[in-house]
Amino acid sequence: MTARAKGTSSVVVEQDAPEIVDIPINMGPQHPSTHGVFRMVLVVSGEKVLDVTPHIGYMHRGGEKLMEAMDFRQGIGYADRTEYLAQFSAELGYVLAVERLMEIEVPERAQYVRVILTELNRLSSHFMFMGAFGIDSGLFGTSFTYAFREREYLQDVFEEVSGDRLMYAYFRVGGLAWEVTDNFVERVHDVMKTSAKGIQDLDDLLTRNEIFMARCQNIGSFSAQQAIANGLSGPILRASGVPWDLRKDEPYSIYERFRFEVPVGHYGDVYDRYLVRLEEMRQSLAIIEQALEGLPEGPIVPDKMPRRLRTPPGEVYAKVESPRGEWGVYLVSKGGDKPYRMKMRSPSFCNLSALREMTIGQYLADAVMILGSMDIVLCDVDR
Amino acid sequence: MLGILKSMGMTARACFRKPVTIEYPTTHREIPNRDRAFPILIWDDEHDEPFCTGCHACERACPVECMTVVMKDNPKHAAGESKRRKIIDEFWIDYGRCMRCNICVEVCNFEAIGMNNTWAGHELSRYDRSELVMDLDQLLSQSKKHLVEPGLRA
Amino acid sequence: MSIELLAAPLIDLPQRWMAALLAIIALTLVMTFAVMFATYYERKVVARMQQRLGPMRTGPYGIMQAFADTVKLVAKEDLRPATADPVAFELAVFAIFVPAFIALVAVPFTEDWIISPMPLSLLFLLAVSGLSFIGFLMAGWGSDSKYALLGGMRAAAQLISYEIPLILAMIGIVMVTSSVNVGDIIIFQDKVPLIVWQPLGFLIFLTASVAELERQPFDIPTGESEVAGGVFIEYSGIRWSMFQLTSYVNMYVFALLGAFVFLGGWEWPFGRDIGWGYQLFLTLAKMSLFIVFYLWSRTSFPRLRVDQLMSYAWKVLIPFALLQIFLNGLVLVYDLPDIVLLITSGAAALAMVALVYRAVRVTPRVPLKMVSNTMPARSVV
Repeated sequence: MTARAKGTSSVVVEQDAPEIVDIPINMGPQHPSTHGVFRMVLVVSGEKVLDVTPHIGYMHRGGEKLMEAMDFRQGIGYADRTEYLAQFSAELGYVLAVERLMEIEVPERAQYVRVILTELNRLSSHFMFMGAFGIDSGLFGTSFTYAFREREYLQDVFEEVSGDRLMYAYFRVGGLAWEVTDNFVERVHDVMKTSAKGIQDLDDLLTRNEIFMARCQNIGSFSAQQAIANGLSGPILRASGVPWDLRKDEPYSIYERFRFEVPVGHYGDVYDRYLVRLEEMRQSLAIIEQALEGLPEGPIVPDKMPRRLRTPPGEVYAKVESPRGEWGVYLVSKGGDKPYRMKMRSPSFCNLSALREMTIGQYLADAVMILGSMDIVLCDVDR
Repeated sequence: MLGILKSMGMTARACFRKPVTIEYPTTHREIPNRDRAFPILIWDDEHDEPFCTGCHACERACPVECMTVVMKDNPKHAAGESKRRKIIDEFWIDYGRCMRCNICVEVCNFEAIGMNNTWAGHELSRYDRSELVMDLDQLLSQSKKHLVEPGLRA
Repeated sequence: MSIELLAAPLIDLPQRWMAALLAIIALTLVMTFAVMFATYYERKVVARMQQRLGPMRTGPYGIMQAFADTVKLVAKEDLRPATADPVAFELAVFAIFVPAFIALVAVPFTEDWIISPMPLSLLFLLAVSGLSFIGFLMAGWGSDSKYALLGGMRAAAQLISYEIPLILAMIGIVMVTSSVNVGDIIIFQDKVPLIVWQPLGFLIFLTASVAELERQPFDIPTGESEVAGGVFIEYSGIRWSMFQLTSYVNMYVFALLGAFVFLGGWEWPFGRDIGWGYQLFLTLAKMSLFIVFYLWSRTSFPRLRVDQLMSYAWKVLIPFALLQIFLNGLVLVYDLPDIVLLITSGAAALAMVALVYRAVRVTPRVPLKMVSNTMPARSVV
């Protein structure tokens, strides 16, 4: 009997005897659970994954090169569009780099507002993870709607402050684009209440659900050594048991002033990554609480701000702890108002490099979960 | 099993909450004052002419180069009705390219450009991309009729 | 149901074949509308559980949504991949569609409303509803798509595996009632529904029926996030809608079966002399309980993995189903009082729950460590 080569041109069966072949399955770029236009070619034997070849670049726009043609204010909008789930973190990384290069002292009030918004943004990004991860695990959209309900409330606040729901373009080199709204503090308090409720809802829905636990536990496990060797960062690294959080270890902005705890996992599996993110959301709420208490009055940009931003020659690397990990901006300037070279160290890209190692030997259904647990932003991967 | 029951309890509780859906095309969410839809030009009622003098500042600052500005001598200045020596002659903004970054508003010295903060600024679907290139009349029309009061200005 | 009404008395007329044909046509139409209602109902209930509104546009509260969907699906182009196996691809729909509807022939909606009263109707129901895996395999193979093939294989494995605990649970019922006729089983429950005597059997039936229906958490063959629709991936238009129609008809069949066998059907609690109206009401009400459970589980549960699915069937459900049979046998042989049945079966049900609970939490996990002063990462490794 000649085995029909099921659409795979590479499989050639010459003998009459049936031959067992491993099927390559093309997952993506238009697959519901590849979180954008990511493509994996999985070689499966039955349900077991034998090999994974990730293909990226479907969303490459040359964002770094574009930003080299922009001056330092214009580039902020592009930072948003690169990391479109944690826009404030992306903006913060970019403006921190420029500020360090120009040696600008940012006013207190601007620092506090930046921290509040960045942490709210961490909440909204992790809500997005919770929603999408629930769908990856097979929930019929329930976690997604709960998470998006909260995300919309958060975006309402961002919109009131910055004027846009997604592409805020609100941080500026030296401070903020404009003053926050008058009722900013009350609005943040309101949204913190609803978010805390939303976190509890998702906790009730997923955390102790036996099916969810059975699906998540002990898959995609990464030890601390493996995680460090693969250059992982963010919640994935912490789930593997490495207490490494840039907000604690190399505080940027004013993070050294806040008391908060860093959740660290033990097994490094998908379930730990989920738990770490869930706990991080609660810690973010604690940071926002403290920041709101300490929010001072004052200017939002330095007094002696040059009208046209010109950097001295030099190079700088600024990194922030985005919801996905270390989001870094490497900036080389030869003087003038544009960067000579601009490089983004995106956590999505670096974390994705571990996908192959995590996925091989797991089930096909787990490959989806592992990819989901990485919480990648494809635009950030491809830039 | 307890966790499964907890999950089922969660969905059952949600069943009795008020749905949060806003039925969009029939019900419009109230959008905040600072909302940034797309840039429009603002009409000066006192002098019955646009604020814009066609100084090209926004055109130069635009990261995506979506604007085209042509300046002319102001005929009203010659007639002594206006202080503006120069005035805008032609102005195009390609809404298909605009990335709504608000930089044009920030750099404007005359508060002549602002961000549309009404639903009309968001609901701009067209059958053809070329219809998204707005000319001077279209950019001014909403401000002329006092339909828009931009929340964010320079 | 008015056509139904006309058809039911016709059964005993001389033109038996004519009457049966009429009844089948009526039933198909009624079930099609019932399915349309079920899709609307499901969308509304699921939406409310997710704090959404669900369909609201077509008609007041979206009640015409199902009709709009039908028109859209019927009017859609019917595509077949060029490399598909035409025979398997096109016949697969019917291989799934026909058994689902044939099963309804033996369903006694009320005492008299049954198209074909047969002495082995329970056996017939189980046998016919077990045929659908052939259609899934045909669709999976015929589509010439890897996702469809994966889905088809998953469907075949799942349906065959869960058929066994389902049938074993039913054997327990048959032992207690000493009848294979659904009508007689219902009449047996005139005082106490069988769920009281067979809680373990009920749990097994409930789980296995969800698996047979391929609904969450057992929607592995069609898992949207893994195989993107599985066997349905290459189907469109009317064929796809027939698949959906079938899955909902199956849902009704299993809900009816559960209502008859475990909840007392139209017999319990009022007896069968209350007229067909009440009987029908009781049947539908009890059926709705099952349907609500199916919808509820859909919103609340993630999907099991394929190996967990198999081990759940073979390591948990089947041994416990055999245990139920064994317990029933003991009670029958030694003529013990009925209460022993309740106690033993209930204890076994609790044991099953406890076993699953322990299986998942087999090793206590180390909880998250909260670090307030992090250290350089190198010191950890």
